[in-house]
Amino acid sequence: MQIGLDADQRAFARSCGALAADLAAGWDRGRGPRDVASPEPSEKDWARIAEAGWPALRLREENGGLGASTVDVAVLVEQLGRHALAAPVLGTLVAAEQLQALGAPADTLEEVAAGELRIAPLLDGRLLGFAPAAGGALAWDAAGATLAFAADGSAHALGDALPAADVTRAMRRPGARVDDASLELRAPTDDDRDRLHAFVLTLLVADLLGTMSAGLDAAVEHARSRTQFGKPIGSFQAVQQIAAEDLVSVEATRSALYSSAWAVDALPAAEALRAARVAKAFASRAGVAVCEDVVQLFGGIGMTWESPVHVWLRRAHTDRLSFGDEHHHQAVLADLDLSAGA
Amino acid sequence: MDFSDSPDVAAFRAGLRSWLGEHLHSYAEGVGHDSAEAVAATHRWHRALAAAGYVAVSLDAAYGGRGLPDVYEAVVNEELAAAAAPPPPPIGHIAHAVADFADPDLKARVLPGLLGCTESWCQGFSEPGAGSDLAGLSTAATATDDGFVVNGQKIWTSGAMWADRCLLLCRTEPDQPRHRGLSMLVVDMTTPGITRREITLANGSREFAEVFFDDVRVPAENLVGERGQGWKIAQHMLTYERGPADMGWTGRLGNVLAAAQEGVRSGRLPADDVLRRRLAAVAVDAQVLSWHVARSLVDRDPADPGSSGSLDKLLTTRVEQELYAVVGDLAGAAQVVGDQRPFGEYLWSRAQSIYGGTQQIQRQIVAQRLLGLPRG
Repeated sequence: MQIGLDADQRAFARSCGALAADLAAGWDRGRGPRDVASPEPSEKDWARIAEAGWPALRLREENGGLGASTVDVAVLVEQLGRHALAAPVLGTLVAAEQLQALGAPADTLEEVAAGELRIAPLLDGRLLGFAPAAGGALAWDAAGATLAFAADGSAHALGDALPAADVTRAMRRPGARVDDASLELRAPTDDDRDRLHAFVLTLLVADLLGTMSAGLDAAVEHARSRTQFGKPIGSFQAVQQIAAEDLVSVEATRSALYSSAWAVDALPAAEALRAARVAKAFASRAGVAVCEDVVQLFGGIGMTWESPVHVWLRRAHTDRLSFGDEHHHQAVLADLDLSAGA
Repeated sequence: MDFSDSPDVAAFRAGLRSWLGEHLHSYAEGVGHDSAEAVAATHRWHRALAAAGYVAVSLDAAYGGRGLPDVYEAVVNEELAAAAAPPPPPIGHIAHAVADFADPDLKARVLPGLLGCTESWCQGFSEPGAGSDLAGLSTAATATDDGFVVNGQKIWTSGAMWADRCLLLCRTEPDQPRHRGLSMLVVDMTTPGITRREITLANGSREFAEVFFDDVRVPAENLVGERGQGWKIAQHMLTYERGPADMGWTGRLGNVLAAAQEGVRSGRLPADDVLRRRLAAVAVDAQVLSWHVARSLVDRDPADPGSSGSLDKLLTTRVEQELYAVVGDLAGAAQVVGDQRPFGEYLWSRAQSIYGGTQQIQRQIVAQRLLGLPRG
């Protein structure tokens, strides 16, 4: 057993965190919903993201990528969540992994890896999974993307961003089919499909972990400095009890992330998917619950647009719903574990 | 990142499984603590485990252990749980206190009996006036020419009714600040002046007792470490009290969960959609708990293992209490009419948020030591 990040992974987390923080500092949530900045990165910012190798991270070397492990990708994604990064890195990673799993040609993937082709994944309208075709689908974390591919290989242009809870990521409807960009994709084997699914769920857990831990850290800092009755509110037991349970949730989610991320590359696909469903079910509930507590711990200020608190809660809700919330995965697990003959 | 066994751990695990396959049936029958026969069966089981080399394996070989990393202790706990075997003797923390602090003579006198399970030990910490506020304890050990005279009362002393020795946390330096006034003594339980009184728990269990000390003479050579070191030793013990044993406890919760799942699958326990979903939800939490406990074994903060233990206990409490609530609801009327053992187990789950530091104290430790929130 070697559970935890090694020295290289810790160093990678620090460098990802530094870049994410720098990029996030350039995004302005404005003074209200009407002047919040778009999550579409500037050309310069996207070039920095491509330069850092983030879009290429998971792609295999023959596809122009870096061939990173799922644990490494999770290390990056946790930092995206931690800094509520308003740039479509997660969407790119998810779309790239889907195309790679479905056997997309290397030249297309090389363009994605280099940041030249900007793509977003297409999800079904309920956000439960990849869309089989473009009808009724949603392009997910699609700010700045020029194309989205459905599982049938059809390429689609993308419309304007839809109104959405999450202000750091954009959802867009696929539009006209772009015939000369469409790809011949193969139908995935069950194993390929399950492993892809496990990978995506794991990344959402990582984003939830980063989001909830950023919120909790800020709430703790607030509770240390905000005084009432002549004392920091963080010295009151009622406040401490809430924050402590939130740390339990954060650390348990971290354990679930590590296990799920390890499983994607180490276990048979069905077992990896099961682990990822468990982790996603846990993190979906814990992530939103912690972010709700963060609202409570900040008090009134946390309900203002000016405060970052709502940004975390918005992001957590979107992560929670995407690829199935806790109820969805509990229902699947109940069928697996409790049906006669299971 | 690797959640799987190293080859050495896998070999150790396989050896233990095969030993259990061969020997468990001769010892597992009737183990408990609610009658003299059950206690005798417990002792036989512990001695068999010790003779086979599966007790206190993390202790240095010089003291009768095997000098193995903590993870091997966890494997013992885990495999015994998986085989539905009775637990191993809960002595790792006592053994480490003695091995890491006592002088060579005391070690040589008491460790063989402790590790061989030929002598049974209890741990005298809690008092009627010092539960959550343990450092406020008042049992006094007054220094004399040749040792100490102990007066006071302990409570919640597990196994005290049949213990041969007690590791006693007591106050030797009444003039010192309270954390610095404590010492750790090894007390022979047959010493005149000791009275034990059994406590029957709400679920009928008879594991606990009160222990009264009236002018009990303890020789100076039974002092563990130095005078005033008691609190430090107690904190050190906390490092070993949780961790590996959590693996076993988590495994036993997994058995309860698996039995409930099997009951639903077979139709023996009728479950509507709500109950099925609640069972699935607690299965999620139980799986995350077992991952977390595994991670805690190898990825915990060496500077402050006690506080991360508090975090682990809070997570265990959540899972255990919800699990028994769901299991009880699955049983329906059978929970309150008929065989009352399941109801007894449910009752015990309510103690999880009380013993070993209440949920409220654990949260306070997490808030102040891990999150750095200020003291009130």
